[in-house]
Amino acid sequence: MRKSRIIKDKVAHGTMFALTIIAILMVVVIAIGLYLKSAPVLENKSLWSLLFSSEWRPMKGEFGFLPFIMGTIWVTILAILIALPISLLTAIYLTEYSKPVVRKFVFPALDILAALPSVIYGVWGVLVIVPWISQHVAPHFVEFSTGYTVLAAGIVLGVMVIPLLVSLFIEVFSSVPTDLREASLALGATRWQTTKKVVIRKTLPGILASTVLAISRAMGETIAVLMVCGCVIGIPKGILDACYPIPALIANNYGEMLSMPFYESALMFAALILFVVVLVFNLLSRIVLYRLENAEK
Amino acid sequence: MSIARKKRFIETVAKIFMWAAMFIVFGFVISVLWTIFSKGCKAMSWDMITKLPGGGFYIGKEGGFLNAIVGSLYIVGASTVLGLLISIPVVFFLNVYLTKDSKLAYVARMAFDVLFGVPSIVYGAFGFTIMIYFGLRTSLLGGIIVITLLIIPIFIRTMDEATRNFPRDILDASFALGATRWETLKVVVRQIAPGIATATLLSIGRAIGDAASVMFAAGYTDSIPTSLSQPAATLPLAVFFQLSSPIPEVVDRAYAAALVLTIIVFVLSICGRFITNRFSKNKV
Amino acid sequence: MIEIKNLNIHIKDNHILKDVNVTFPEKQITCIIGPSGCGKTTLLRTLNRLIDSVEGVRMDGQVLVDGQDIIHSGAEITELRRKIGLVSQRPCPLPMSIFDNVAYGCRINKMFKNRRQLIYHVQKNLKAVGLLEEVKGRIRTPAARLSIGQQQRLCLARSLAVQPDYILADEATSALDPISAKTVEDLFVKLKADYSIIMVTHTLRQALRIADNVVFMYLGEVVETGPANQVFNNPQHELTQKYLTGAFS
Repeated sequence: MRKSRIIKDKVAHGTMFALTIIAILMVVVIAIGLYLKSAPVLENKSLWSLLFSSEWRPMKGEFGFLPFIMGTIWVTILAILIALPISLLTAIYLTEYSKPVVRKFVFPALDILAALPSVIYGVWGVLVIVPWISQHVAPHFVEFSTGYTVLAAGIVLGVMVIPLLVSLFIEVFSSVPTDLREASLALGATRWQTTKKVVIRKTLPGILASTVLAISRAMGETIAVLMVCGCVIGIPKGILDACYPIPALIANNYGEMLSMPFYESALMFAALILFVVVLVFNLLSRIVLYRLENAEK
Repeated sequence: MSIARKKRFIETVAKIFMWAAMFIVFGFVISVLWTIFSKGCKAMSWDMITKLPGGGFYIGKEGGFLNAIVGSLYIVGASTVLGLLISIPVVFFLNVYLTKDSKLAYVARMAFDVLFGVPSIVYGAFGFTIMIYFGLRTSLLGGIIVITLLIIPIFIRTMDEATRNFPRDILDASFALGATRWETLKVVVRQIAPGIATATLLSIGRAIGDAASVMFAAGYTDSIPTSLSQPAATLPLAVFFQLSSPIPEVVDRAYAAALVLTIIVFVLSICGRFITNRFSKNKV
Repeated sequence: MIEIKNLNIHIKDNHILKDVNVTFPEKQITCIIGPSGCGKTTLLRTLNRLIDSVEGVRMDGQVLVDGQDIIHSGAEITELRRKIGLVSQRPCPLPMSIFDNVAYGCRINKMFKNRRQLIYHVQKNLKAVGLLEEVKGRIRTPAARLSIGQQQRLCLARSLAVQPDYILADEATSALDPISAKTVEDLFVKLKADYSIIMVTHTLRQALRIADNVVFMYLGEVVETGPANQVFNNPQHELTQKYLTGAFS
């Protein structure tokens, strides 16, 4: 009797252990899979020319990813520029100022933003943001714009990362002990002074890490961006130019490239770039956030 | 006094900025919902959700997108089951079998956080290569595999979060009575069931809305798949493909599909909140 | 002088302070004693309105600081808090250097126009708590590296630097080792020449050693108050007698 209990425990332990290890190994498997697939194009071209050439002629076997990389960078930076101040201010209000009543309204709103699928944001972007840009924003600066621009993609993406950023920031801010705030308040500092000089100062690494995490999320976002970015191959010169970020490139071409040599491999290389960058960003920011979390305990 | 006044002035300005930020957030929410609901409701009809695409569907003739609804349900249903089978043991392992500051738990949590951050398009591309390696074509099965891959980290992370706050004292109490860890699990399950339920609902919400990964894996079709090897349509792709059509009737269908998708996600999210609120009250 | 008249505090449905009437005289040490949970800390936190940040708090009555009611009237809370320093139970250095900790309040309140004055002022206050010699040469290093006793004195210096009239101390020595506790206690005695000190303490012996006045509280009410020797030697109320003899704590 006793023996069977112990055996049962051992078996369960073994199974769970194996499943956990397999799940962890997924990270490695994905990396290897993508690398093997992109090996052909990597053997054929130098890494330098793949990353920094802007010649994109799949038919002739020329794969310069610079336009797509630049597209990704433009869109991501713009999205973060839009989302960061809004999220930071919202999170500060929610943790440092607000009464529960306010939270009762704001949290569900953020929940909704977080829950909505990417494609819904795409629809919203196409119906609201794109026409707004082409009719009200672009005419002030350029002669004509369809509205499918870096700006449109940046706005849509910005809105999408707001709930992520706010929830990360809230977590980071609540790691600051109340004593610390009170020590500052007791000296005659206002809430804002306390927030600025104590809370933000104390959590600066956490704020940066959260932002990096949001950047990596924004970089990989596909469908919504694909729907509003314009998908024109070329390095954008301003926010009113169309762009073509990496995820959009993969999504748009994946089905139809099997006939061309190296094309599939090149697209897999694009996925690998994305994976590696996201991996590095995630690891860095998570390590910082874990440290913060543990320091509080 | 002038310093006090200056302080108060800056305080007020800061508050105004914060209010403005929150109004912008609300503005976005309302704008998105208003767009989807106003367009969707106009285009919505009973046929849309009960009929398959008829002949000439894509030039504005009749039919609905039942294929996409059913396809999404198939894929998400199957991968939820598969995902739960894999992730629940992992979550239990992390929280009951491993000690609080175990190195393995740290590495595992880190790995799942990273996997959670991997873009769905990468899952899609990776899943597709695996399918080709095994000789699979775009199919229902492919969709299920990719969505399962995508959903596991989400499952594990959200459930882990719900489980982590579980008081370790109860575990110790159970161990102290001579129970094995496996037996202790039974005590834990009842405590953390609501957390797991919520996590499941939220993860399903994310899985059903994901388009980028199923794009290659499941493909798109006008009929309801009858076997695992047939391609399957999904709701997000129904929105995506039909929205770019030049024919207004087809675009309308995209709006209707977007509405259906939004409502599904909403219901899931509201149920999740409800369970959390309901059960967190009488938890230890 | 701080006068409390008919102060009632509710937090949600709990009546925390019941009809409190107390006067805290100037340039003396007043100890608030009583069993834990009797409202000592709440009373203390009402005096500098830190209680505002508690959810669902309601205040009635009057608290007069130098004749000004701080509960009503649009009293300038930050100015009030500058005037009333706080030393809390656990020392809580701000996440910055030793120098910046002391300078923090001065900068917040824009007390000095030029830097040399600020440096002089910071040094003066560090000296007042006997820390200047101990931290010589590492005044720009993070305050968190100080020992816990030094941190508590740093917090005291930080409070003194904004030139308060009153100092509130909430069991300021309870987290410290006996030797540091003694140092801090002696500091308070020294400081009463210039400041009015109100301290919550849970050790009767400490109150016996340093109090000029005593306020005994029980379950949210002030049971007895008066000069220390009177309360300790000749308590009027039965509860006070019992508490002093150790019948409950």
